[in-house]
Amino acid sequence: MSDPAAWIALVPAIALAGALINGLFGRSFREPFPGVLATVVAATGFVLSFVAFVALQGREQAHVALELWPYLQAGSFDLSLGVMVDPLSVLMMLVITGVGTLIHLYSVGYMHGDAGYSRYFSFLNLFIAAMSVLVLADSFMLMFVGWEGVGVSSFLLIGFWYQTKANADAARKAFIVNRIGDVGFLLAMFLMVATFGTLNIAEVNAGAVGLAFGSGTLALIGLFLLVAAAGKSAQLPLQVWLPDAMAGPTPVSALIHAATMVTAGVYLIARTAPLFSMTPLASAVVAWVGALTALVAALAALGQTDIKKILAYSTISQLGYMFVAVGVGAYWVAIFHVFTHAFFKALLFLGSGSVIHALGGEQDIRRMGGLGAKMRITGTTSLIATLAIAGVPLLSGFFSKDAILAHAFTSIHLDGYGTYGLYGVLLLTAALTAFYMFRWYYGIFGGTSRMTAKAAANVHESPATMTVPLMVLAFFAVFAGYLGLPEFAFPNWIAHWLEPATLGELTEVPFRHPAAWVEWMLILASIVAAGAGLALGWWIYAARKGAPIRGLAEGPLARLSRSGLGFDAAYRALFIGGAEGTASGVAVLDRDLVDRGLLGLGTALTFFGRLSARLQSGFVRAYALAMFVGVGVLVILVAWMGVRA
Amino acid sequence: MTAAAILIPLVAAIVAWRLPRRVAAVVALVGTIATFLVATFLAGAPALEIAWLPALGIGFRLDPAGVSSVLILAASLTMIPTVLVAGRHVGERDAPAFLALLLVMQASLNGLFLASDLVLTYVFWEATLIPSLLMLGLFGGDRRRGAVTKYLIYAVSGSFLMLASILALRPLSGAESYAFADLLPATRALDPVTQAWLFAGFAAAFAVKLPLFPLHSWLIDFHRQNHPSGVADVAGTLYKVGGFGFFAWAIPLLPAGAQAFQPWLLTLAAVTAVWGGLAATQQKDLKSLMAYMSLSHMGLVGIGVFSLTAAGMNGAMILLAAQMLSTGGLFLLSGMLHRRRDTFELDAFGGLAKSAPALAAVTLLVLFAAIGVPGLSNFPGEFMSLMGGYAASPWLISFAALGSVVAAGVYGVNTYQRLYQGRAREGTRDLNGLEVLVIAPILAGILWLGLAPAPQIARIDAATVVALELEVDTTGETTGQTPAGAAERLANDQEAIPAPDLALGGEP
Repeated sequence: MSDPAAWIALVPAIALAGALINGLFGRSFREPFPGVLATVVAATGFVLSFVAFVALQGREQAHVALELWPYLQAGSFDLSLGVMVDPLSVLMMLVITGVGTLIHLYSVGYMHGDAGYSRYFSFLNLFIAAMSVLVLADSFMLMFVGWEGVGVSSFLLIGFWYQTKANADAARKAFIVNRIGDVGFLLAMFLMVATFGTLNIAEVNAGAVGLAFGSGTLALIGLFLLVAAAGKSAQLPLQVWLPDAMAGPTPVSALIHAATMVTAGVYLIARTAPLFSMTPLASAVVAWVGALTALVAALAALGQTDIKKILAYSTISQLGYMFVAVGVGAYWVAIFHVFTHAFFKALLFLGSGSVIHALGGEQDIRRMGGLGAKMRITGTTSLIATLAIAGVPLLSGFFSKDAILAHAFTSIHLDGYGTYGLYGVLLLTAALTAFYMFRWYYGIFGGTSRMTAKAAANVHESPATMTVPLMVLAFFAVFAGYLGLPEFAFPNWIAHWLEPATLGELTEVPFRHPAAWVEWMLILASIVAAGAGLALGWWIYAARKGAPIRGLAEGPLARLSRSGLGFDAAYRALFIGGAEGTASGVAVLDRDLVDRGLLGLGTALTFFGRLSARLQSGFVRAYALAMFVGVGVLVILVAWMGVRA
Repeated sequence: MTAAAILIPLVAAIVAWRLPRRVAAVVALVGTIATFLVATFLAGAPALEIAWLPALGIGFRLDPAGVSSVLILAASLTMIPTVLVAGRHVGERDAPAFLALLLVMQASLNGLFLASDLVLTYVFWEATLIPSLLMLGLFGGDRRRGAVTKYLIYAVSGSFLMLASILALRPLSGAESYAFADLLPATRALDPVTQAWLFAGFAAAFAVKLPLFPLHSWLIDFHRQNHPSGVADVAGTLYKVGGFGFFAWAIPLLPAGAQAFQPWLLTLAAVTAVWGGLAATQQKDLKSLMAYMSLSHMGLVGIGVFSLTAAGMNGAMILLAAQMLSTGGLFLLSGMLHRRRDTFELDAFGGLAKSAPALAAVTLLVLFAAIGVPGLSNFPGEFMSLMGGYAASPWLISFAALGSVVAAGVYGVNTYQRLYQGRAREGTRDLNGLEVLVIAPILAGILWLGLAPAPQIARIDAATVVALELEVDTTGETTGQTPAGAAERLANDQEAIPAPDLALGGEP
């Protein structure tokens, strides 16, 4: 621990301590003490992460390993828990604790007066602890501890207002869908052990590079990991839990269901970059899952009317972009988008929270409008975030999204798996994103008010604990992109920072390097897509007041979009019905068939047992006889006493 | 020291038997705490051998090494809160007898875990049956007679086939005595067909006690009909020793027999894990739900044991220890809930988190432990059992993992939701002082086994290495022969599993 970079290993312990203090004694604390305590805990985590970040600068070997304690053993297989501090984990930690601190601070104001105030902050710190474990783990085993830990915190926070059945149901759904993903994680680990004899991430990566390129085992491990990642990051076909997860308090949606936890799937794949670099097949499936998810979720976002559900589908869609990035082998690009997305998406959610707070719980954008004038800070910062996610040039989202599009276009890794198709889907989705985000912003802050007079009269800007985080996030939503300018013409810090930690020196994933004018044309195409989406949104919603789509609003297409393209209904019919049918069949069979059928068999066995006993001789026979006489007497005794009692 | 783990609870039982309730409760508590303290030192304690019937090769042989110390430690920790509840919440008249039976149960269980003589094992095996039968028969629910009969028929028929195998073992193998160390080389030298027959006899007893599908129906009735305090159910949970029997006796003594039956047993264990999990999701009664949940866990234990890999066998035994705490804890919590509502019907509950937040929190923690959330007790064992199973049969165990893990998620959160979430028709009281004392050791144990299981696993591993005939050379590398082929493939022979085969559907 003499190395300051290793101090970051204390973050989970500190956050867990914070969670325990608020969890055990919180109800005897007075507001805002639990919130302040939890915020200080998160801020301490940020300071330690920053120390590690600084300490790693300029090192030849930017990698600190710290072994904690032994965990499993079996013959010659053993596994110790340990921490890996490297550029990738430190960058993730900066996001988790940095955005986390802001959201803790915001929550101090947002959760004011809630009966579960201290419980809320206990859960929030628990989440920070679990997420830090996930990110810092040096083995898949420890990562899985954090992986299910964040699932548990997510379950607790989605169902935070548990007295409403819908909230508890949403929490349950998230937990169960994530468990399906977790089985993928488990199977990936089993196969890793069978193949490489270890679960240490670095060793597995090194072993993977030693196997034949394109090997079937690697593809299978990759696909199992994809199942895990799809569960946690809400990708097809496991995306259905995230829109429901909006039942949780809005700062939770910002922290867990937008900025950090849902990016864990992207992190998992980036962490196993060398393995995926050896299997184009699994990588291609990752990329296509991402691209289709991006498109499907964008289409679903078009028809939503809930201020948070639009953002939830938007998050699913943006995570799809990140999956395409890790799929084509641009691992640093994916993390770059994780980084910029954390700021503008957290900002969008916190802005929504500010609006919901001001309107006393209203979440339907059809009953909003014109709030920009009354809530200047919320409105302005939300506008910045909207433009950033839409891909407006020079804001953060533009650079990271453009990098994904460019890498999809120039991928060699996925040659033969339709890289231009990936590019086309993402470009179309970019236009859709700009369109639905304009609708979101304009529906809330632009135009004229559609609120009731009573609601309108109470509208107020939120307190400073809420607006300060908005402004800090807005700053990063503007400038975070400058860490990763297009490589062909500009300096790019983040690629050089992350590359040693993803692919390292083990292997590399090639990309085509087209002429500079092609690169510029790609950038132009992104700008045109974003501009077209925003312009169409402006024309429909601002210039024509929604007239061009008025007929659509109640049509079948709108209904399809609003239902998230019908996945929930399909799953209910296909899987949930089937699973419940099977389970109830099992339960009935168990009571009726297994129960009765074997009683007869049991009697027969006893009879033969007694028969054979007579054939044996010696002490054991005498003993056995005594035992059975004894048992027989006991049975009679028991039966007799049972009758009497 | 070693014999104290048996003698202390036995003496406490005899003393408590005729005392008034309050005094009996104190005696029992002191007895269980003393047993726990002994258990913490047991791992380093010497083996014990007292001549008993030397002419017949039978000795009073106890050996605390290996898995015994781990299981006794977990069981004796679980017994402390159990005795606390029994002393308080079983009726005035019944409590002393109930406590005495619990302690007899503990004494004979500890004997079973410690015994390193096959006949002595059988004596303890039968001896554990008696207190558990009596608890059910004396203090059970309205339909306990049916449950007792069923339990007895299953247990006795299994035991009887085991007895036949025990009787045949020495004459056939020519071993000098019934001591484990004497039997081991002799029985392993038997030809595979003989081994298979003998193994079948053991398997009958152990599979019933595990229990393995379709021999499990006694378990459901056993839990449904036992005393509503949940105390006897905890004793029953400690008593799920079938997996231990396979691990400690049947597999090491008869490796070729184990190999012969492995595919069948592994399949049945996989079915048990999924079957129990699915059935648990459909239960409307808390105790039935826990019985099926426990059945699913036992399926996982079976998967680990029958994988015949080091990982699986270690996992199975540490899971056995872990479920004593988690399942035992849930039965104690079910008793607390029963005292509040006088029923186990899930529909009678709901929304209790509002009025009893601490009860809700500890229930959730223990439930999460039981469904295998990492960082809590059951996870290391579940993980290693499935990992070993996967090495033995990837596709079968993939199916078992999917079914049991997802089903566990479903019944886990469903149970919590139905008990604690939503809106309550009426409130209830939160944990009282006694209940805090009851649940504290359970929580401590759950965190202990979840966060730092390595020392316990290392002890189990020492026994596994013997059971699977793994040869540990001086460099610490393991090289093996039959029947542990799978373990070595798992451990260090990467070439043994041809990489593309797995992906293309063939089993290695």
